[in-house]
Amino acid sequence: MIGLILRRLIQLPLILAIIYTATLILAWKVPGNPLENPEGRRPAPEVVAAMKAQYNLDNFWSFYFSYLDSATGVRYLRHELSGESRQQREQAIAAGRLPPEQPIFDLGPSLSYREQRVNEIIGSALPVSMALGALAIFFALILGVSAGVIGAMKPNSFADVATLSLSMIGISLPSFVIGAALLLIFPVWLGIGRIPSWGTPLDMILPAFTLSLGFAAYIARLTRMSMIEQLQSDYIRTARAKGVSIRGVVLRHALKNALLPVLSYLGPASALAMTGSFVVERVFAIPGLGQHFVNAVRNKDLFLIIGVVLIFSTFLVLLNLAVDVLYRVVDPRIE
Amino acid sequence: MFRLLAAFLVIALGIAATLAVSTPAPRADFTIINGGDPTTLDPIVASWLRDIRLMRCLHEGLVRSDVTKDDLPIEPALAERWEVSPDALTYTFHLRAATWSDGTPLRSTDFVYAWLRGTLPDSAADYTSFFFHIAGARDFFDWRTAALAAFAKQPQTSTAAEQLWQHTKSTFRAMVAIQTPDERTLVVTLARPAPYFLDICASVAFVPVCESIVSRYEVVDPGTARVKWDTGWTRAAPSIGAMRLDSWRFKREMRLAKNPAYWDAANVRINSMAILSIDDPVSQAMAFQTGGVDWVSDVVAPFRAEMVAAKNAFRAEHAAAVDALRAKGLGPAEIDRALPADPRKNTHIFPAFGTFFWNLNCSPNLPDGRVNPLADARVRRALALAIDKRAVADGVRRLGEATAGSLIPPGSIRNYTTPAGLSRDPDAARRLLAEAGFPNGSNFPTIELLINKEQNTDLVAQAIAKDWERELGITTAIIVRETKVFREQVKNANYITSSASWFGDYPDPTTFLEINRTDDGNNDRRYSSKAFDALLAKAEVETDPAARAAILADAERILVEQDLPLIPIFHYVNLNLFNPDRLEGISSNRRSEQQLFRVRMRTEDSPASRREGAGGRAAAPTRIAPQSSNLSVPPTASRGVLAPAPHAPNPTDALPTAIAIVENRNSPQRSQRTQRKTRALASSSSSSSYPCSPVSLRVLRALRGKSPSLRVLRALRGETPSPEAKP
Repeated sequence: MIGLILRRLIQLPLILAIIYTATLILAWKVPGNPLENPEGRRPAPEVVAAMKAQYNLDNFWSFYFSYLDSATGVRYLRHELSGESRQQREQAIAAGRLPPEQPIFDLGPSLSYREQRVNEIIGSALPVSMALGALAIFFALILGVSAGVIGAMKPNSFADVATLSLSMIGISLPSFVIGAALLLIFPVWLGIGRIPSWGTPLDMILPAFTLSLGFAAYIARLTRMSMIEQLQSDYIRTARAKGVSIRGVVLRHALKNALLPVLSYLGPASALAMTGSFVVERVFAIPGLGQHFVNAVRNKDLFLIIGVVLIFSTFLVLLNLAVDVLYRVVDPRIE
Repeated sequence: MFRLLAAFLVIALGIAATLAVSTPAPRADFTIINGGDPTTLDPIVASWLRDIRLMRCLHEGLVRSDVTKDDLPIEPALAERWEVSPDALTYTFHLRAATWSDGTPLRSTDFVYAWLRGTLPDSAADYTSFFFHIAGARDFFDWRTAALAAFAKQPQTSTAAEQLWQHTKSTFRAMVAIQTPDERTLVVTLARPAPYFLDICASVAFVPVCESIVSRYEVVDPGTARVKWDTGWTRAAPSIGAMRLDSWRFKREMRLAKNPAYWDAANVRINSMAILSIDDPVSQAMAFQTGGVDWVSDVVAPFRAEMVAAKNAFRAEHAAAVDALRAKGLGPAEIDRALPADPRKNTHIFPAFGTFFWNLNCSPNLPDGRVNPLADARVRRALALAIDKRAVADGVRRLGEATAGSLIPPGSIRNYTTPAGLSRDPDAARRLLAEAGFPNGSNFPTIELLINKEQNTDLVAQAIAKDWERELGITTAIIVRETKVFREQVKNANYITSSASWFGDYPDPTTFLEINRTDDGNNDRRYSSKAFDALLAKAEVETDPAARAAILADAERILVEQDLPLIPIFHYVNLNLFNPDRLEGISSNRRSEQQLFRVRMRTEDSPASRREGAGGRAAAPTRIAPQSSNLSVPPTASRGVLAPAPHAPNPTDALPTAIAIVENRNSPQRSQRTQRKTRALASSSSSSSYPCSPVSLRVLRALRGKSPSLRVLRALRGETPSPEAKP
């Protein structure tokens, strides 16, 4: 087990390096100039050239390595060891200025939000998305597993068809429709909740519910499928023959095994949910990370694109690792 | 398994709980949605209208525009008076004894420092060229550019970079004609007379910054010797404007608080202002409906044409009263205020300082080598004459926008008369096209209309293409491109025709005209006219304002009546949402300039009036009775009821008898939260035909009023229908 965890953690930087390279190549190829506004007046060519030089945007390889240099903390270490940071600090203080701030892992400035650094953006957005995503996955589990179990108990019954259709609707209805409808019903008509929907824990319920529906539908289908399979297996029949009640069989024996596929789905699902959803964040005006995935690409904000992609990849790797570990806990047979 | 779930729940709720620590602040006096998240608070970087709106609250320049008047005259701000030398070159500003919000007195050197920042080539400032009006500024810019280039060639040390920066500061003082004889006097000498220099001084780029604080944020790059300011300065710097920055929580909200040190603080009626970050246009409209927002600046919801239609219907129902009020000289919001309460009147259509036009590529050949038929001005004129602009504005846009003959919105610039432009004439268009060698459009190549996927111009393009096909017999093709590709193609003139728009930056015709100068960086049309360039050059040196305006009008006439590098289609409007019975002070001037610190909440349920109105009168709920014959009420009078308006001679004198004090909507004892809710309910239930909702929403809303369960729910919450819910 510890070997597995260590192996995966050693793989992580390698995976991130590959993803970084691929993302940067793609983002670099996106047409357009991140230093220009999407509309209106263009800055003078000399100004653009100077800014490009400042951010290393004029050369792919110098950008590639300077980003790696600062994002991995190598630059910080180098400057600390060579005494350059100390010198800069002293010089700044001597000139009556504030000493420059030097984060260890510097993900760079944002080109579209001029007054934020990528570290700050992710720092403020990630906890929001994580909380919302965790709650959404929790809702999805409750909704999905119970719907799946109800359906599996009597396949092709009314309850089964009803839950299946509901989950179909959950998968097909885009969240901007559900989100807007929920906003209209609760805050606008009933006066429950508010827009923007962020600030108090209660505010999280509507967006988390909206976000959970897609996942819940998928979980319901997974649960139903594997539950039906489990209920037809021999050990269930044995248990029933021994006189265990249906409720006992389902809850104590079948569900435990039926949830294994759900568990493997939970890894990527949690990574998705916890790194934010563009649509849900937009409709409910939530300051999460999802909007930056889309907006950063639209603005060709290289630093932000790479920052959010790396965060998402890290989440994906770590949560998959967590799922693998949980697998072993749930089912000791798995090596 | 279940233990696992429980663990998960604990984790999820744990994260939620840590976040819950940031409980929302109490509602601000004035809560707005300002188009989008603020991009920057740095006055020399800001170029978005929404950023500039916030700047107007946080900063102030030597002078400012009076946004309450349609032609925005200049009025004193930080300079209480000024003198202009007879040769119109030297301006002497006398500063008032103002202090920054941290108590530091304002010094004339604060202006010098701010203008140094604006002039430096180091910072990517949009408006650096504004500073070139000052004698020596251009030379300084070139000197610094050369010095930076020279630095790059030497061995770079941080000491050398630091020395260059200190040297730059002293060079700026020596080269640029800005003198500070004492702490409260600023003398500026211009390179050549510029009659609009005061207007430029009123722009956000020219506001002072507190040198003693901001200079601490300088960062001199040891590698390039460029200077930048650590972005933290905008949050730390004190304010000289009406408000100061209270907090900025990225993508959540920004809060401004009243700056007690502001020289005109007595006339600032709000103590706090919240700028919410809501990007989705439908959610913006819903946030306004729930009462959580007092003002939405730019409504772009997909149903905005329906909102405009409902507003027009409302105005039509009260046509006689509206005409009478207009004859009294009342502004649009004041007219609405005098009309009976109705949710439809919350939509406001104000003119914007921008024009939508169609770019025509003027270069002789297209980038792919094809011969460009549009290089011939007669063809361009023919294309312009064939377009039915009325159909575009009324049939496609449906926002009540005026069709455009000129590039500059008429009446938006003081003392400038825009030319009339061409009016529609398909016969003349066909004649011109025949003259150019394409009778009935024969042999004419397919005209491509390039549009941006994200700007909703597809229907406009279709309307224009249809006109060209029908009237001129030419074939067209509409090409849709994603924003960045669109921008690149337009910038490189890799198109035949394209959609385009331009918004003015400063109140001078050149803000629109210069984009057609041959060597301008924004001349996407590759238009080059010696006559036009010569007129712009002539205007630059003309000192007489009237003669200069005439020269520029001639230049614009060449554009829109002769050469047509672009076809003006319509002048934009700006859609606002606010309840005129609750909020006043939103300006409707022709440049959509706002000074939001001038606003005031009218009803008692705004925390501002409750706090301010310790005495009975200010807190007393007042509203002009809708039925009474109050058409003669001058606007200042209605303001005077709540508290004397700053400039009203004597509010009580102006009060006619027709003003009735009406019982207020909510009793003050109720909690603010309930009031907000009730207001939302009242406003929506009194509107069986509320404008800003698609049919489905309307149906649902109609159901709402009749649904017993909802009535029960409301009863449970202890809400009774407010008296105004039943008209």
